[in-house]
Amino acid sequence: MPSTTAIDPEALRAHAASVCGAEFVGPDNTAAPADTQQAAELLHYADSNDISICPAGAGTKMEWLGGAPAAMSLSTRRMNAVLEHTWQDMTCTVQAGCTWSALQARLGEQGQFVALDPLWADHATVGGVVASNDSGALRLRYGALRDLVIGMTLVLADGTIARSGGKVVKNVAGYDLPKLLCGSFGTLAFIADVTFRLHSKPLHITTLSMSASHAEPLGKLLLQVLDRHFSTVSMQLRGGPQGFALDLRLNAMPSVAAQQEEMLRGLGASMQPAEESVWAAREALFTDRDGWLIVKATMLPTGIAAAVQEIADAGGKVVAQATGILTGRVPRTSAGKLVRLRSWCEAQGGSLVLLHGDVVDGLDRWGTLPDSWPLMREVKRKFDPRITLNPGRFLGGI
Amino acid sequence: MSASSTVSTPVSLPAEALRAFEAVLGRDGLIVEDSQLRTYECDGLPAIREVPSAVLLPTDTAQAQAIVRICAKHNIPFVPRGAGTGLSGGAMPMSGGVVITSTRMNRIVSVDFENQRMVAQPGVINNHLTDRVSPKGYFYAPDPSSQSVCTIGGNVAENAGGAHCLKYGFTTTHVLGLEVVLSTGELVHLGASCLDAPGYDLTGVFVGSEGTLGVVTEVTLRIVKRPETVQVLLAAFDTIAGAAQTVSDIIAAAILPAAMEIMDRLSVVSAEAAVHPNYPQCEALLLIELDGPAEEVHLQMEQVRECCRRNGSWEDRLAQTAKERMLVWKGRKAAFAAAGRLAPNYIVQDGVIPRTKLPQVLESIRRMSDAANLRVTNVFHAGDGNLHPIVLYDASHPGEEERATDLSLRILELCVDLGGSITGEHGVGREKQCSMGYMYAEPDLATMERVRTAFDPQNLSNPDKLFPRPRLCGEKTGSYTPHPLEIAGVAEFF
Repeated sequence: MPSTTAIDPEALRAHAASVCGAEFVGPDNTAAPADTQQAAELLHYADSNDISICPAGAGTKMEWLGGAPAAMSLSTRRMNAVLEHTWQDMTCTVQAGCTWSALQARLGEQGQFVALDPLWADHATVGGVVASNDSGALRLRYGALRDLVIGMTLVLADGTIARSGGKVVKNVAGYDLPKLLCGSFGTLAFIADVTFRLHSKPLHITTLSMSASHAEPLGKLLLQVLDRHFSTVSMQLRGGPQGFALDLRLNAMPSVAAQQEEMLRGLGASMQPAEESVWAAREALFTDRDGWLIVKATMLPTGIAAAVQEIADAGGKVVAQATGILTGRVPRTSAGKLVRLRSWCEAQGGSLVLLHGDVVDGLDRWGTLPDSWPLMREVKRKFDPRITLNPGRFLGGI
Repeated sequence: MSASSTVSTPVSLPAEALRAFEAVLGRDGLIVEDSQLRTYECDGLPAIREVPSAVLLPTDTAQAQAIVRICAKHNIPFVPRGAGTGLSGGAMPMSGGVVITSTRMNRIVSVDFENQRMVAQPGVINNHLTDRVSPKGYFYAPDPSSQSVCTIGGNVAENAGGAHCLKYGFTTTHVLGLEVVLSTGELVHLGASCLDAPGYDLTGVFVGSEGTLGVVTEVTLRIVKRPETVQVLLAAFDTIAGAAQTVSDIIAAAILPAAMEIMDRLSVVSAEAAVHPNYPQCEALLLIELDGPAEEVHLQMEQVRECCRRNGSWEDRLAQTAKERMLVWKGRKAAFAAAGRLAPNYIVQDGVIPRTKLPQVLESIRRMSDAANLRVTNVFHAGDGNLHPIVLYDASHPGEEERATDLSLRILELCVDLGGSITGEHGVGREKQCSMGYMYAEPDLATMERVRTAFDPQNLSNPDKLFPRPRLCGEKTGSYTPHPLEIAGVAEFF
């Protein structure tokens, strides 16, 4: 573990200022490089001097997983350009500091988008979204970042600049390092830019909802929809002490959508048209979060209803995607119930990770470590042997 | 009879290791006879061959783990192998090493329809996955055209694609979890049956690693609901540019076909001669497959036909029945083998370009082939820019094979120059490892090597593949040789 005080803070800031300009180094030891080269130079210096580094975007998820106690933050805020949008090839390359909504606005000019709906799109940066592997309701139809990122420029802790993947969707030349970086929380490398595959924006969106006092019948309907020929883009089961709802988003031409609504009625479902705003329910779980525990849990689709009911019964609120990824918000006093829920998730191959809130009442942050954890630690050691990047932030203290 | 007396091998594995292998696998799980070993001396790239010291056939994870431990103890390199259909030499053995084949690990472990998942051992044949789940209306989506013989373990190693990956994604999209024996003999589970397992996405980096990171012993897969309706349109154009523009227009119209393929005139002629799919004779033939809810497919097909007409298509035909569709696809899938009707020898390449560079790259290939005095025929997965140029030559003409090999490698470099890749689905293996240095800079490759050394510190798992090895550059990879099953019309590559 590097010492965070191995070098005088003044000397650290002075060096950072010499690399990227004094006006881009803050008193809080945040340095904002202008480009990949400057980032590499700063990282190399930090690595050589045992200074821990936290790559930072807008900081919207910085507190997740207990935060990152690094000596210096390397901000991507000046690296925020859309470098290329080759719309006819449906790819784009963007610097890590570009906000998600700015990227989408640019792509939208050609009717395209990166098919992902992360939290706080107006503020969250591309690098932060990728590093945290955030995903929302669109994942059911379009997949996760691992399916959308096709290339990346990385800066390793020692300053090595490496390009991985490419600008074409189909590419099996070498290891797929972008997948390794998605969700690595800044512990393997500083992400300088990302190349995405793009999709056309859906043209015919319909959102339908149905409420119930218990989660179980909605969970049954969710499984029936998955098993049938619907043009499903998103589906989520949400709820809390006040009741539950199943939301379904279709992308189908009007006549086809009408047929599918008829199919839903045939399943005994009385789904009604709903506002698109129902898809913001996940983000709402994070408002006024003090005193709450916020978790990400994963389970099989057959387990969604039971997990949702469990969190609601614990006095919490929850949004579960039909992919089996759940975000839940529960009072700190219900931590014991989360411990039991975690055991239940793990028994079916899932997990429960404490995103926000302090470890409490036997609820640790990660749960049972996988048998591949020593291998993950070895990957970390190869990428960052001096443990410069976000020390201790990741799974099991990696 | 002692173990050592039963083993007669012309190569030099330590006797202790052979005894240990036999103790784990039994006599019938160990191949050491020279004539039998030769079966394994190459994969679908027959130009490069090496006889292994032994072939090991474990039946379960415990045996696989035990034999890898023996390899680790004796520092014996091993090559994991499925059906050996790979086209880049990824599964060819190395001298003094063993082949670990998944032939006897061919059981589908479980199917969970409600959660749309299945678990299989690595030796299960791709098509058998779909056979198992199709009675309930599901299928396993990645469809490499060798799917009637290739194994899911090999698909994982190569991140296999297929014509329908345009819509459904590659093997990596469908692998949720892996059970893997590392080169140390350690058994680890990567990913899980549920999404987003905490930690690094090691599943993502393992899929497509071409056997260099360990031996797969079990795979957890997604299965997909079979679409309600499938239609295939076949459209004839006077120019490749017209067909290529149609592809762009279809995508711009927010339509995502299940597959889009272009064949040039030479490919059309040879396919017609080989399997008589009744293609129109044209400069460019575009095949478009739409699938989904019936009403939607019907409406979108109207739009697609309009796109074709607008770009100069002078004939389009709709294949609606399964029989009609099969005939259309049969011609396309026969393209590689049918090239044998055009020339005695040929090399198949697997470059990728940004889709819009297609007219430019074809013009460059035409100039390059003219300069080399060789013919090149082309088939493309047009939706994702994956092109398979087929360089035709006659090896009996002095110097022609060298010119053909040089031309095929320069075509790959052209793909890289235009922002593409040296391989879209066939893998790097031994065939293209020296081209990796053209596509990636040294720090890029060194970063990949960091992953490799984390997984395989002894460099035992399929060494000498994928990464550039200067001593192997200049090796002749030679012409395409159709697999016997391909000649028999049982399997196709494309």
